[in-house]
Amino acid sequence: MNEVFKARLKLLRLPTPSLMPRNASLGYLFVLPTLLMLVLVLGFPVVIAVLNSFTPLWSAERVFTVENYTNLTRDDLFWNSLQVTAIFVAGTSLLHLFVGFIVALALNSEIRGRAFFRVVAILPWTVPDVISGLVWRFMYNPTSGVVNHALHQLGVTQRWIEWLGDPDLALPSVIFADVWRGYPFVMLILLAGLQAIPRDLYEAAQVDGANVLQEFRYITLPSLVRIIAIALALDTVWQFRRFGLVYNMTFGGPGYATDILPIYVYKQYFRYFNFEYASAVAVVSAVIMLIISIPYIYLIMRRD
Amino acid sequence: MKRRRYASSATAYGLLLIVVVYNVVPFLWMVFTAMKTEKEAYAIPPTFFPEDLTFEAFEQLLRWTNFPRYFLNSTIISLGTALLSTLIGALAGYGFSRFSFRGRVTLIGLILASQMLPGVLLVGPYFKLLVQIGLYNTYIGLILAFTSITLPFSVWMLKGFVDTVPEELDDQAMVDGCTPFGAYWRIVLPVIMPGMVATIIFAFLLAWGDLLWVLVLTSGDDMATVTVGLTRLVTQFRTIWPQLMAGSTIGALPSIILYLLLQNYLVRGLTAGAVKQ
Repeated sequence: MNEVFKARLKLLRLPTPSLMPRNASLGYLFVLPTLLMLVLVLGFPVVIAVLNSFTPLWSAERVFTVENYTNLTRDDLFWNSLQVTAIFVAGTSLLHLFVGFIVALALNSEIRGRAFFRVVAILPWTVPDVISGLVWRFMYNPTSGVVNHALHQLGVTQRWIEWLGDPDLALPSVIFADVWRGYPFVMLILLAGLQAIPRDLYEAAQVDGANVLQEFRYITLPSLVRIIAIALALDTVWQFRRFGLVYNMTFGGPGYATDILPIYVYKQYFRYFNFEYASAVAVVSAVIMLIISIPYIYLIMRRD
Repeated sequence: MKRRRYASSATAYGLLLIVVVYNVVPFLWMVFTAMKTEKEAYAIPPTFFPEDLTFEAFEQLLRWTNFPRYFLNSTIISLGTALLSTLIGALAGYGFSRFSFRGRVTLIGLILASQMLPGVLLVGPYFKLLVQIGLYNTYIGLILAFTSITLPFSVWMLKGFVDTVPEELDDQAMVDGCTPFGAYWRIVLPVIMPGMVATIIFAFLLAWGDLLWVLVLTSGDDMATVTVGLTRLVTQFRTIWPQLMAGSTIGALPSIILYLLLQNYLVRGLTAGAVKQ
């Protein structure tokens, strides 16, 4: 606050601003439009989805039932989907973290052209996942795709591999494509964390004769714990609802090999029109998601 | 110590070289395929660089398909979503940042948690609701639907930007006779304008890249967006890859450019301010 302003306050005999009472309830007025909007566009549909999930399949009248949920426990395709989702989410988010960490370390070292490398490093993440899915689908094409061609040229394989057509290879192939798409954002978060570590910590360690590994173990890792937790938590939530990439690469196939939950629910809704059953699966997905997002919400809210 | 530094930067360059190749090859594949003839795209074995370079695919896509319409639809829907959610999100961001009313922490926690709801939970009810109230297959219906994703995130992002503005600034304005809304409108908004622009762009891009909602809430070709239009090009009887990759290139371009412009806001914005960049 500037001096002139303070002097003026004295003249007016007003209390200094920090002591001025704020009319707290005025806050409601500011947040009201958002709250109304969210009740309308978010709360209302959620309530309907939950109600639907407790309504008998294809029923015109609203009778309460839990049969959708009991059916769900006996549905092998649901359990399959849950398993595929777990592998997909764990696989992609851990690999995002692993690759992201290595690239962040490389970008944080003393190199020339860091700005250029940084732009190239985030490039894949800037493409909508729907479009990445299309590009990778064609890259994986057994006869005209670049993946088989490159492997053949390098002498790694002799035959055309059906990357997305083979039930055993489809999920790893989708995961590999998603690592390309998704690691840059985790990398950016970690890079921000690395750059916030004070340089003199490393200098002190070097004076004490620490080697690179010891520096990593005793300075880098401990300073990054919170940031790694945030990155991993956020990425897990995002990966849990990835849709466009898988939709365009395999649509859950071949068979049900890549049938992640969002795709499974989508098919239940709009292929088989099992609205009530689909709602039940969606509610279960939402509950799982809220549970896995608790660490993230905790980490963010703790500051507030 | 010097030697160690050379060794480690050599490792870094080596690594980054691999990164460049890994990251860029799919882009080149997309762009080069878009510049091939259809026959060459299906060649066995495939070529990587186009042997006879042509812009046929772009020309056909823009002239003979509905792609320009998809692009227009994407733009209208994304822009509408971005403006709506940033406009009311900024008000809420200010409210949550400046006033300590009862239930504030609960409300802002709920808004954060609502970001975690999966889209598939919402699309079913939305489909039925929009059909009932006659907003199925309309811009307004889609904009409202997208707002359910972008608004919670806009509120958090904008709250973060308001938090960085010293409170003395609006106190001073109120002492000078501004109403609280006046202080928000005339003092705080101009200061957080870069943050507003960043939020608008983020919301725009969220809507731009979405597939699920548009698939569910529209029918027919006239309302399709870039993402849905491209997706439908694949599932047709014959996939014309050069055209599809031409469309992918054009559809990805706004996204790439805007995200790169946002570089400095990316991390802070998307982690609700938890990580400073």
